[in-house]
Amino acid sequence: MTSSLTRMVARALLAPILVVALAILVKGYANVGDGFAAGVVAALGVLLQVVVFGREAVAAALPLRWAPAVALVGLGIGFAVFAVPALLGDAPLEHAPAPGVSPVHIGSLELITAVVFDVGVFLLVLGASVAIIDAIAAPGEGEQ
Amino acid sequence: MNPLFAIVIGVLFGCGVFLLLKPDLFRVIAGLVLVSNAANLTLMASGLTRSGQAPIAPVEGNEPVADPLVQAMTLTALVIGFAVTSVLLALCYGVYRARRSVDLDELSREEAAEAAALEADEPPLDEESEYDQQDEFDEEIVR
Amino acid sequence: MAIAIGWSAGGGGFGVAWAPTWDLRLAFELDGLAALYGVLAAGIGTLVFLYASAYVPRHLAHQERSRREEARLHGAMVLFLVSMLGLVMAQDLIALFVFWDLTAVASWLLVGYDRHNRDARLSALMALLVTAVSAVLMLVGILMLRAEYGTVQLPELFAVAQESTTVTVAVALIAIAALAKSAQVPFHFWLPRAMAAPTPVSAYLHSAAMVAAGVFLLSRIHPLIQLDARLLDGLIVIGLTSMAVGGLLALGSRGLKRILAYSTISQYGYVVTMLGIGGAAGAAGACFYVLGHALAKSALFMTAGAVTEATGAKALGEVGGLARRMPLLAAGSGAAAAGIAALPLTIGFFKDELFFKAALDRGNVLGALAVLGAALTFAYMARFWTGIFLGAPKGELRPVERRLIWPVALLGALVVVGGLVVGPFADLARDAAVVTQRGAVELEAAYHLDARAENLMAIGAYALGFALFASGRLLGAPLSVFSRLGHDLGPERAYNASIRGLNRLSNRLHDIEVRDLRGRLIAVVVPGAGLVALGVAVTPTDGAYRTGALPAADVPLVVALAVCALAALAVPFCRRHLLIALALSGVGFALATTYSLMGAPDVALVAVLIETIFALLFVGVFALLPRDVLRREARLRAPRSRKLRDAAIATASGVVTSLVVWSAFSRPVPREGMSDRLSALAPEAHGKDIVTVILADFRGLDTLVEITVVAVAMIAVSLLLRGKLRG
Repeated sequence: MTSSLTRMVARALLAPILVVALAILVKGYANVGDGFAAGVVAALGVLLQVVVFGREAVAAALPLRWAPAVALVGLGIGFAVFAVPALLGDAPLEHAPAPGVSPVHIGSLELITAVVFDVGVFLLVLGASVAIIDAIAAPGEGEQ
Repeated sequence: MNPLFAIVIGVLFGCGVFLLLKPDLFRVIAGLVLVSNAANLTLMASGLTRSGQAPIAPVEGNEPVADPLVQAMTLTALVIGFAVTSVLLALCYGVYRARRSVDLDELSREEAAEAAALEADEPPLDEESEYDQQDEFDEEIVR
Repeated sequence: MAIAIGWSAGGGGFGVAWAPTWDLRLAFELDGLAALYGVLAAGIGTLVFLYASAYVPRHLAHQERSRREEARLHGAMVLFLVSMLGLVMAQDLIALFVFWDLTAVASWLLVGYDRHNRDARLSALMALLVTAVSAVLMLVGILMLRAEYGTVQLPELFAVAQESTTVTVAVALIAIAALAKSAQVPFHFWLPRAMAAPTPVSAYLHSAAMVAAGVFLLSRIHPLIQLDARLLDGLIVIGLTSMAVGGLLALGSRGLKRILAYSTISQYGYVVTMLGIGGAAGAAGACFYVLGHALAKSALFMTAGAVTEATGAKALGEVGGLARRMPLLAAGSGAAAAGIAALPLTIGFFKDELFFKAALDRGNVLGALAVLGAALTFAYMARFWTGIFLGAPKGELRPVERRLIWPVALLGALVVVGGLVVGPFADLARDAAVVTQRGAVELEAAYHLDARAENLMAIGAYALGFALFASGRLLGAPLSVFSRLGHDLGPERAYNASIRGLNRLSNRLHDIEVRDLRGRLIAVVVPGAGLVALGVAVTPTDGAYRTGALPAADVPLVVALAVCALAALAVPFCRRHLLIALALSGVGFALATTYSLMGAPDVALVAVLIETIFALLFVGVFALLPRDVLRREARLRAPRSRKLRDAAIATASGVVTSLVVWSAFSRPVPREGMSDRLSALAPEAHGKDIVTVILADFRGLDTLVEITVVAVAMIAVSLLLRGKLRG
């Protein structure tokens, strides 16, 4: 099916791809990239495994069938970031900290709620992309 | 620059329309992808008056900065395009599963035949209803 | 009951801003008119509910339907009741219109309750169309009033409205809707059809809800109608015609419910006539008439239902002599029939008394016509009641629940009580008439044992009515000719013809426009293109089509664009599907390169990723289909003419797009725009990548909607590919 070289490369690539996706996600505010790009990168990492090893092998190792749930959790986070400020009396989607207030830093990473929103986007896109491609790859699954 | 972009957008749109007119569902989808590409390029190109370096702080010197708002909108459009196209492709497969065909000409022929069969079952509207036959126009008024 | 208490406590009102930008307020007020109709809707509604709880299970059992469908009827009845209450209390014409249409929808659900029955479906459609299409006229009238006076609040309108052509036309439009709802000639044909509904529904529809809504509206806007005497005269003509047509048809029919349906047309003809006569007498008479009629008519419909349930008979002649076997029913419905026929000692006597008085005020001709109408009423009511309850017993008698009997008895008792102690009823009607008349109204209802004109007219009506009733056999032939003529030439024929015409038109449009996807696309694209062309044609060309500069540094951009265009041009020439996918990817990646050269690394990154996913999607779906399906599509060769046509359309649209885009790009963009403000704000939001900041913060709502779309797409794809599809 696939050559051993491809398999090796694909296996070796998974971790770096996920790391890159994570980097794109958290650095999105300071540099190129955002939650969406990160999500697609991570999804492509997973899908590369599917293409190379076949769906069954990957489904055994990675929780493919949870992809829709991941997506819905992401959507939930997005709506939570939207709604929580509204419940606290601010405008919806009001991000903290407020302008002028210095955020908490971890190294060069700034902790702000906009990043939380992006994490929601990331999870949604990751889950949705994997779920869509997986559904196309194996349309009969889940019919029972 | 302007006419160049305009021509490329026109080419994308024209090719898209050409594919939209095909009977093959997949070509129709390809046509839609091309048309949405044309739209995205239009969005991006509408920021052309101020093209320059990427809108990422810190901005270097006095060089112009590309329009960030257009880019944000294009990004949104791209993502929505992705969602729509995936649904369309899945729909295509659904049509194939239900009808064993992805050809619009065949599908519409079948649909027309089914509609004709349905209409043949339904009597025309102006047929006398059972109420009219039941108790109207009675010659004799009963006491 | 709550309504009666609330009204006796002095009424009250409240208003809520609904759509403040359009100056719409939801204003409700429980005034006298609202109290009268509200009490009727709620009170009779309660009895009808009780009756229905016994009737509907039997009805469903006859048709071998599930008991669970009972809930559907009750749900629609509640909707009906609520929308009636909203209607009568609305002080705002727009809100009134909304509730008006809600009653139409509820009646559609109820008339078409036996949905397996084609007649019921068609009748429901007819009721909906006649009342809802005329309601559009009403909306037009309302908007005309709004354009004239800038308000749709009734109290304000009453204060400012003057006699003018606009107002007359607007009010006439509203009145047409009201007359259609009240089933007045020439819109009367829907009402007899609507008896396809289960009997409790008919009882409600005819007495307190649907049909009453029409005369309610006429009463509500009566101060506006009064502005023009021609409108009042029109009401009199329509009312008298309906009275005559309804009465004659009722006298000529055999079906139990059909007689009652025609009777309703005739009875509301009385009310419309009185509203047309106007003045204090007319207003008071109309309000009292509605009250008296509603009590009696609902009882009679329930009687018809009970008789059909007990004997299976649906028409006169199939039943007889029930008086001895069902005495309570006979007594109750006897009282109700006497009420409609306006015999003394019933509430109905006063309703005719007031009617005669109002008619006499307008002259002797109208008085004579009133007597004729009342005589017809007496004749068909006598025929109805004696036909069921007197004569030789016929047919089997099945036991029926007591809940089918005692609401009739209760209503019959009310009719008699109203004839003996008329005070409270008269008060209710008087307070309603005060609202209609916007002034003090005297309503005097009492027995006078003297030879005053009203009494003489009543006696004349009884005598003439009895003569008509007794000469029934002689009248049979002319009456059936009359109804045959009405059927052949009447408005129902016009209705059917227009429905058929519309059907044919829609079929033709469907054939042209919707039959296949291409037609649908053309139907959207061609008008769109026409509008764009119009826009281009009328836009001044000064300053458009600027070429701009092409600095040497932009050469890579030109190359990328050229690759993009070439790839796009290649797509139509690809035969095999895989090649199409490849060419599309080529376009996409070339575009991504273009974006990156335009200072948009974010967009370029996402575009590359999306193109990758697209490639996977296309290839994945192609792999799902059997190879021969795709191959057949690939081998398909269009005829030459079609190819040329497609190419011509594509070229034309491409060229027009180019021109439009070019001229749009040539417009100078303001230097200081939204983008600069957003860029300046980005550091405030703790971000450096302005695009990301816009997406996550400034325009976060867009992004939220966008990810919702993605989630919906995911669910849709999963359902389409994994769900259960037919085939």
